[in-house]
Amino acid sequence: MRIFLEQMLNGLTIGSFYALIALGYSMVYGVMKLINFAHGDLFTLGSYLGFTLLVWGNAYVTSHVGLAGGMIAAMLIAAIGIGTAGIIVERIAYRPIYPAGRLPAVVSALGVSIFLENIIMVLWGPRYQAYPVNVVPTLRFEIGGIHITLLQIVILILSFILLAILYYIVQKTTFGAAIRASALDRDTAALMGININTIIFFVFALGPALGGTAGVMVGMYYRQISFTMGWNYGLKAFTATILGGIGNIPGAMVGGLLLGIFEMLGSAYISTAYKDVFVFLILILVLIFRPRGLLGEKVAEKV
Amino acid sequence: MKLNKNIILKNWPIFIVTIILSVFPFMVNNYWIDVFFFFGIYALLGLSLNIVLGEVGLFDLGHMGFMAIGAYTTAILNTHFGIPIIFLIPVSALAAAGFAWLVCFPIIHLRGDYLAIVTIGMGEIIRITLINNPFGITGGPNGVFGIDFLSFGGPLVIDSSIESYFVIWIVVGLAILALINLQRSRIGRAWNYIREDEIAAESTGIDVRYYKLLAFVLGAGLAGIAGNIYASKLMIVSPESFSFMESCMLFCIVLIGGMGSIPGVLIGAAVISLFPEVFRTFAQYRMLIFGAAMVAMMIFRPSGIWPRRRGAVEFKSLLMKAGE
Amino acid sequence: MKRIKFLLVISVLVLALGVVSLGALAADKPPVVIGLQGPITGAWAYEGQMAKQSCEIAAQLINESGGILGGRMIEIRVADDACEPKAGALAAMKLISQKDVVASVSTYGSSVCEPASNLYEKFKKVNIAYGSTAVRLTERGLKYFFRTCGIDSAQGIFFADYVPRVFGAKKIAIMHDNTTFAKGVAEETKKALQPKVDAGEVEIVYYDAITPGEKDFSVPLTKVRETNPDVLYFTGYYPEAALVVSQARDIGIDCPFVGGNAAINDEFVKIAGLEKAKGCFMTQEPMPAELPYPESKIFLDAYKAKYGEIPSSPWPVYAADALNIIAYAIDKTGSTNSDVLAEYLRNEVNAVPGVTGSIGFTEKGDREGVPYLMYVVNEEGTFDIYNK
Repeated sequence: MRIFLEQMLNGLTIGSFYALIALGYSMVYGVMKLINFAHGDLFTLGSYLGFTLLVWGNAYVTSHVGLAGGMIAAMLIAAIGIGTAGIIVERIAYRPIYPAGRLPAVVSALGVSIFLENIIMVLWGPRYQAYPVNVVPTLRFEIGGIHITLLQIVILILSFILLAILYYIVQKTTFGAAIRASALDRDTAALMGININTIIFFVFALGPALGGTAGVMVGMYYRQISFTMGWNYGLKAFTATILGGIGNIPGAMVGGLLLGIFEMLGSAYISTAYKDVFVFLILILVLIFRPRGLLGEKVAEKV
Repeated sequence: MKLNKNIILKNWPIFIVTIILSVFPFMVNNYWIDVFFFFGIYALLGLSLNIVLGEVGLFDLGHMGFMAIGAYTTAILNTHFGIPIIFLIPVSALAAAGFAWLVCFPIIHLRGDYLAIVTIGMGEIIRITLINNPFGITGGPNGVFGIDFLSFGGPLVIDSSIESYFVIWIVVGLAILALINLQRSRIGRAWNYIREDEIAAESTGIDVRYYKLLAFVLGAGLAGIAGNIYASKLMIVSPESFSFMESCMLFCIVLIGGMGSIPGVLIGAAVISLFPEVFRTFAQYRMLIFGAAMVAMMIFRPSGIWPRRRGAVEFKSLLMKAGE
Repeated sequence: MKRIKFLLVISVLVLALGVVSLGALAADKPPVVIGLQGPITGAWAYEGQMAKQSCEIAAQLINESGGILGGRMIEIRVADDACEPKAGALAAMKLISQKDVVASVSTYGSSVCEPASNLYEKFKKVNIAYGSTAVRLTERGLKYFFRTCGIDSAQGIFFADYVPRVFGAKKIAIMHDNTTFAKGVAEETKKALQPKVDAGEVEIVYYDAITPGEKDFSVPLTKVRETNPDVLYFTGYYPEAALVVSQARDIGIDCPFVGGNAAINDEFVKIAGLEKAKGCFMTQEPMPAELPYPESKIFLDAYKAKYGEIPSSPWPVYAADALNIIAYAIDKTGSTNSDVLAEYLRNEVNAVPGVTGSIGFTEKGDREGVPYLMYVVNEEGTFDIYNK
């Protein structure tokens, strides 16, 4: 039993990263009906920005604001930086293509993804980089026989705070209602007086910002970053988005956490080598029997 | 179609390209012949995806999985049972097509983006399963090696670069002829109708499910053939060649070339396969330029390099008919 | 019309490039061109670029002492294979089709080496691998294929003998990453341990693969922890190895950690952090820093003079030796004919001093007598030979 609980913690940690990245996908898709393949690479870029601050600016930052401050600063800078990057990407690579339809947008997104991945390689080098060890002091606890580290606790708490904040914004505020309305039906929302441009701006800023923050957290947690890591996380996060119901923001959170747990279950109880197969099979089954995803709403098809 | 002067004059780009492609291998060294061989493989794959994506508009991002099935079928049956490659061409096609039918049957009704993620999942499932060597037949990450060359019996064994070059391009040529015929047939029109407006198509009596499955099955079969030729050329198949990135590249071939357009797919295949070779000198900036080029391509010419001329052809042919 | 023009322009461009690639300038005393195939880009760019630099130093040293065949200089021609089989086949073809390339130093990854070496064999070009250790490669009866590096079965045998004996380990956990190389080493180790397992001395308590490119191994490692192993052997590459050891320590696996010969280099120490890396072991061919031979010193000094530090893994040095032995064979036989060279390498090359020790090849083309050692990461994060 205690092993199961410990594995659940592992699953939740992985899942919280997926959830944060999945939110970006879901928001963008919901409003723009665009699968932003570059999102995974924006996440990677965030990780590298955090790395740059913590490693190259290390002494300066921590001597001014201490360790915890350094961590918060890294996440803030990543959030702002990647949020800006998201908007730039939208302006340059997506906006001109909206009239052309959805499929050219996919190609453009893939192109941006390849471009970002290689720009990271050119700027930071092809070698793996490592976050510093002691951003959070390395302490191990054993609670009721379950091993957990201080870092894991910090990460989990931070992720859940971010998810909670976003949930509040989206579900409880008027602005959130505007986002949900645009995700449901963009044209009608515009007719209702919602300024779509503001929504687009917000969605392309906040989604990537969350992804960038997740990048810093992943960097802190696993310590190793490389320019190719966005691909894997992006794919899993996209899967999580679909699992939760695409365009549905709480769905993305639920999908992400569930995906982490499924992955854990597959890895621990079936076979580590086949865990991704297990995850995709679950996804396919869900889509066959509940095609709108777990939390997606049944939208009537317009004829 | 009678091959008379008018046909040649009207379709002169095709003849120019055919002549260039036929003469080309005699003028360059083996390396470039091999590069163009892979160009041919990508062209065949692009054509096979074109059926699914270009004609019917189905969002398929796992197409390399079908090629993998074809390639591995050939590899395993050839190395374990000694079956000659030439008999395995239809077998691989059937294996891939059969797999497509089995697997797409329950999911064919899914809407665009959901289908995308399911096809991605399918491709990944195939790749991971191959890596893990189930029942010991797929060789794991090493793959299967020792595949024979294609042989037509007697002295005609396809074991040199120039011979495999001609094999792939003849197959591509045959595929193009078949696809043009399909395009102009009832099936082709049904496909296009489904892409334009699925609900309207259904309400006029077209069995949408059947036609969508047909597209997948045909596309998979063609990809399976490509897998067979690829396997016998490289003499080894390994899972790394069939990754998600490759499926994305196929997707781009169809889109960059022009959806549903056969000359477009060929150009798209040329761009995707020749670009990295031509730009080898740029080393690490190669992929950077490639990504930027993809974005630029979509901004400035989203319908593709050589888009399908649709309305014009139909209208013109109507006019011609009326004038008879 | 525009479209057709566009297409014609592309065709002409491509044809022109093809023709251009045919040209080769004749020089006064033409250099002897030796090809180098390796992962200059891609995930293993680090290894590939070190190999390239090593070959350049080796060539430089030969040229400085007068070249071969009466004063001809050695020139290296590089073909990048990005550690991917198809790119490997194309890179091999690129080198093969250039008539002035005599032989090739090729390559790092075993799954890339396979199709490449098949091609070299077909077109009769001597090729010597420097990092491809899969046993299967020399089981094919190829005439022109050799390697200066060791093979996986030797590593497995070493582990199976050393670890139970020296560490007193009874319960062994083996983890690999399903790549050709890592799985090969794991399989060979398992095979080599089998007699001990049958005799009841040793038990393999865990044998599974992680997925390379992933970061989170907490789940499989928790499984490992529950089997209570005496030693954890990871045969994969250094990026995952660093994460594995780091996460293993975090969740309470305290037994000794042993990495295979691709697991531990200075990147490993950097990523895992000195705290967790020190005390880790690895089964390894002798590292460049350990090489005691006079040739090694000359080579390493020259390498350090140009690049600031010595190579951090053994493979680049094997590449240098591959180049050296090709040059040696050409010089001694006075010929650039592949059959002559292959025959000479196989039968006549015996205890030729190289950077990594004396070079000789077996009948199958393997390097004779590659030793394995157990290394340990010390307090400074560098590697010492473990003395027990």
